[in-house]
Amino acid sequence: MAIKNDDKLQDIEAIQGHFDSLGYICSVEIATAVFLAYHLEKPVLIEGPPGVGKTELAKTTAEMLDLPCIRLQCYEGLDESKAIYEWKYGKQLLYTQVLKETLGEILDGATGLAESVDKLHSFGDIFFSEEFLEPRPLLKALKAEESCVLLIDEVDKSDHEFESLLLEMLSDYQLSIPEIGTVKAIPGKKPLVFLTSNNTREISDALKRRCLHLYIPFPDADLERQIVRARVPDIPPKLNQQLVAFIQELRGMDLKKVPAISETIDWARTLILLHSESLEPELVRQTLNVILKFQEDVETVQSELQGVTNRAIKAS
Amino acid sequence: MTELHDTLVEFVQVLRTADVKVSPAETLDAMETLDIIGIEDRLLLKNSLSMVLSKNPEEKEAFNTSFDRFFSFNKFSSENNAAESGEDNAQDDGEFDPESDAPSQQGGQGDGQGGGQGGGDEASEELDFDPLEAQSELGKLLLSGDRMEVMIKMAEAGRQVEVNQIVVFTQKGLYTRKIMEAMGLKGLQDEVGELQDQGDRPQMHLAGKLKGARDYLREQVRDYVEKQFFLHADESGKQLREELLKKVKLSNLEKRNFKDVQEIVFKMAKKLVSIHSKRRKTFKRGQLDIRKTLRSNMQYDGMLFDLKWKSQKVDRPKVMCICDVSGSVSNYSRFLLMFLYSLAEILPKVRSFAFSSDLGEVTRLFQQSKLEDAMAKTMRDYGNGSTDYGQMLADFRSHILKDVDSKTTVIILGDARNNYGDPKSEILREVYDKAQRVIWLNPEPKSSWTVGDAEMKKYAPCCHQTEVCNSLVHLERVVGNLLRVAV
Repeated sequence: MAIKNDDKLQDIEAIQGHFDSLGYICSVEIATAVFLAYHLEKPVLIEGPPGVGKTELAKTTAEMLDLPCIRLQCYEGLDESKAIYEWKYGKQLLYTQVLKETLGEILDGATGLAESVDKLHSFGDIFFSEEFLEPRPLLKALKAEESCVLLIDEVDKSDHEFESLLLEMLSDYQLSIPEIGTVKAIPGKKPLVFLTSNNTREISDALKRRCLHLYIPFPDADLERQIVRARVPDIPPKLNQQLVAFIQELRGMDLKKVPAISETIDWARTLILLHSESLEPELVRQTLNVILKFQEDVETVQSELQGVTNRAIKAS
Repeated sequence: MTELHDTLVEFVQVLRTADVKVSPAETLDAMETLDIIGIEDRLLLKNSLSMVLSKNPEEKEAFNTSFDRFFSFNKFSSENNAAESGEDNAQDDGEFDPESDAPSQQGGQGDGQGGGQGGGDEASEELDFDPLEAQSELGKLLLSGDRMEVMIKMAEAGRQVEVNQIVVFTQKGLYTRKIMEAMGLKGLQDEVGELQDQGDRPQMHLAGKLKGARDYLREQVRDYVEKQFFLHADESGKQLREELLKKVKLSNLEKRNFKDVQEIVFKMAKKLVSIHSKRRKTFKRGQLDIRKTLRSNMQYDGMLFDLKWKSQKVDRPKVMCICDVSGSVSNYSRFLLMFLYSLAEILPKVRSFAFSSDLGEVTRLFQQSKLEDAMAKTMRDYGNGSTDYGQMLADFRSHILKDVDSKTTVIILGDARNNYGDPKSEILREVYDKAQRVIWLNPEPKSSWTVGDAEMKKYAPCCHQTEVCNSLVHLERVVGNLLRVAV
């Protein structure tokens, strides 16, 4: 495979470095996944709790390679007309009208029904040519001339049937359109495919088999500090330490929804806005709703706030 | 690279026994991965293979332990050792390398054994004489501490002596020796003997080290053979094992098989679900519903053109399951409950109760916690005390009987051994009258149903069905019937 800027995918450290410079701090596993995806020409199925940067990974990869990122957001009821292609009905209709008016000319000279039908047949296929094809994300990704990054987001939200639709695309990088034939990716320009899933339902084995499987867990304290520093450069190191320690504490608690990285970053920004230099129980109490999204969780944490905060401050 | 690929295939087999589903296509992917990344960087190898071969968090965990176990000839404690052995591999592309420099890597071996050799690098550096190098091929290999090489060599020897033909457990020693010999044990032994004869300090030191390494290798080989035994010995593997497990008496199951059994139960349940989950529409069939037809055609002046049929939509069965959890029967209850809860998709209304004397509801417990925990808690709360079916029935009448209706199936699992207490079969009669079906499952063979303190004779007339039930096949049949009647 030879796509633009593929020198950036030479080895794993290089990938990590380039991601770093784009503000996406990643673990070795993540970099390995991107590396393998490119060299094995395989899609990556990314799973993990919400807010750990699954979608971001695809976007950052696109940015790093300077490729377009084509995104297909999955939802219940998504079907091939929205994911692969659709006929431009309006245009077809319009052309039919035009044809109708000139029908006389075309059929001029034909005698008998059989001959007329024969003549018409020679026009029939025009309506189902690429002219009238409206490419949707999957087809667009295949036809991208400079290759691209295809992000199939939240594939677990789609129906079982849709998963099966994806199989051809994922294993052979081709799509079959009955009226036209098989559309293949340009050799050497196969798109880099990322699928993300929040695991609301089990993805079928057939789909998993065709993908590399990357599980992104919550980051450890060290990595998370780096991420916060990359995303919120203004943050004082002390606050960063305490903040991350606090979040890590929360993840150990029995909450309905534990805060993810995105929430950590939001919180860091909030605290910067409030010009705070270090974590204080009162401050935490006021801003707790930035990191916790359920009232029950807020109450649970508030009852133990003092202890958790002190531990976080001590740990840093 | 072919040896590597062979090793990889073996690793895949190990993964499969560890319940990681790996398809042949994925194996091919793994080989391709191996070709791209090489084996120099252990962590990279692990990460990459993990992505290719294991596809959900549970599998990843199983993968990690399997990987560590499979590629763990000895533990490398220092980075520098790993790096060096990596270089070796890089130079000769995975080929067996008899010349690899032994002294610098003795540390790895020493760490692996702990105890006497435990000092590792430091110890050998403090020696006041030049450490000797091993002469025999096996000795060199062992002292080189290159785990991958030893693994490959061991696997090769294993193939030579056809360790996959191992049939019974007692052959373990035999195969261990055979493999050791194929790896060149004799040369090593001779060398150790010679060294000891010479008796100088450097020689003794080396001899000791070699002996340690040999013992360690023996352990490894034994492990390897054992693994092979588990892989190959159970005749044609897992499938047959499952077949066997299905027929074996549940009370004879050993703890280590529980996981397998759970899986089987899950599979059976899945099968039942797929058979029964499609509710066929039965409209336009069956009997004409005259009342409904007349009523709906009143608006057309009594002209009967919109016919109404008695549609046969049957509700899912409501199942109440009463399980004896006293020692003798608890194993059966465990699997019955497992079965019923695996059927949650088509049996949404299972309520379960446990007793030895007092009856208690455990429905929520089983829905919320894992089977093991739930079972353990149930045993703790209800498992003690002697069996008293009379008390159980009395409790049932006072608390639960009101919920029993004509759509309820009551399953009682127990041996009906009542310690000569009052059986109170009249209560069961009441249940019999109210419920759709009462099924009694008894793990004991029919011949002993009336022997001693067993009260089946009194209970049997108050049941629609009594069954011997002591293996998974029985359970499957019972549960299958239950669904057939219902759907």
